Amino acid sequence: MVDINIIILGCALVTFIPRLIPAIFVDKLNFGPKVEKFLNLIPYTALAALICPGVLTVDNQLWYIGLVGAIVAAGLSWKKVPLGAIVILTVVVLVTVYSIVPMF
Amino acid sequence: MDKFLFGCKSAIPIAFGYIPMGIGYAALALKAGFNPFQTVSFSVLVYAGAGEIIAATMLANGATALAIILTNFVVNLRYMVMNTAIYNKMSENSLLTNILTAHLVTDESFAIFSFENESSVWFYSGLSITSWLSWILGAAIGVFVLDFLPEIVTNSFNISLYALFIAILVPAVKHNKRLGLLVVITALLNVILQFVVGNWSLIISTLLGAFIGMYIVDDEDMIEGAD
Repeated sequence: MVDINIIILGCALVTFIPRLIPAIFVDKLNFGPKVEKFLNLIPYTALAALICPGVLTVDNQLWYIGLVGAIVAAGLSWKKVPLGAIVILTVVVLVTVYSIVPMF
Repeated sequence: MDKFLFGCKSAIPIAFGYIPMGIGYAALALKAGFNPFQTVSFSVLVYAGAGEIIAATMLANGATALAIILTNFVVNLRYMVMNTAIYNKMSENSLLTNILTAHLVTDESFAIFSFENESSVWFYSGLSITSWLSWILGAAIGVFVLDFLPEIVTNSFNISLYALFIAILVPAVKHNKRLGLLVVITALLNVILQFVVGNWSLIISTLLGAFIGMYIVDDEDMIEGAD
């Protein structure tokens, strides 16, 4: 069994260090344009990897629940609905889907 | 003080996203085996929505502590770039205020601070402290109410972070077709690599995707960064 406290402290440490470095060395840090582009791309590629295939495991039994949620969120986002509203509306749609589809 | 309050006010849209998201995170963390205290502590100490949700998901899927921590390191490395931009812009700051606010950068606080015509450390403090507290509040509400909510609702909350991820990605992809292509390539890489390297596929496909992106995504569209 994995020790959750170690995960918490480990993640806290490895997240804080990159945040702290520029706070101290702001005048001295200068990434080349290539490194900067690479680092700027990471959020997008990380999100892509997070969503796919993870979104299909939102419900362990019904894979399409996550797909429905993803399509709803993407559609709302395409229509420029604000972030907070997208999150709430997608949850509401899934509650509705669940009340139609019998759960096992 | 006025600037601090203006910062707090500017965090309201962030809080609207963070509170439901925090509840969604709490649902996943509890399911993955975190106790309520650990669930809230994680939000206080790590304060990185994507990183926390990945950790909880990986733990639920049986990943090792080392894989989880390394993945968090890679996924949260972007804060180094964001804080560099933030402290370059910030006025009236000192080494002490820099160190005190270093922990509070997120994609959202970075985005608002970058696009706002206000560079004061007080504005940023109001903005980022309010955002942080709303994220913690979301997790706290989550561990408190999830016990009373029916399974239909808690299961539905599992979608909330994915909804946010998608909501962040879609406008960027809509704006830049090559970035869209990169997102599809990375997603496919992650699916394929899961069969080869298991839980490490998230880090590897993230880094490999960003590396491929250096050659296929145009420079000029990258200015906005992750917002």
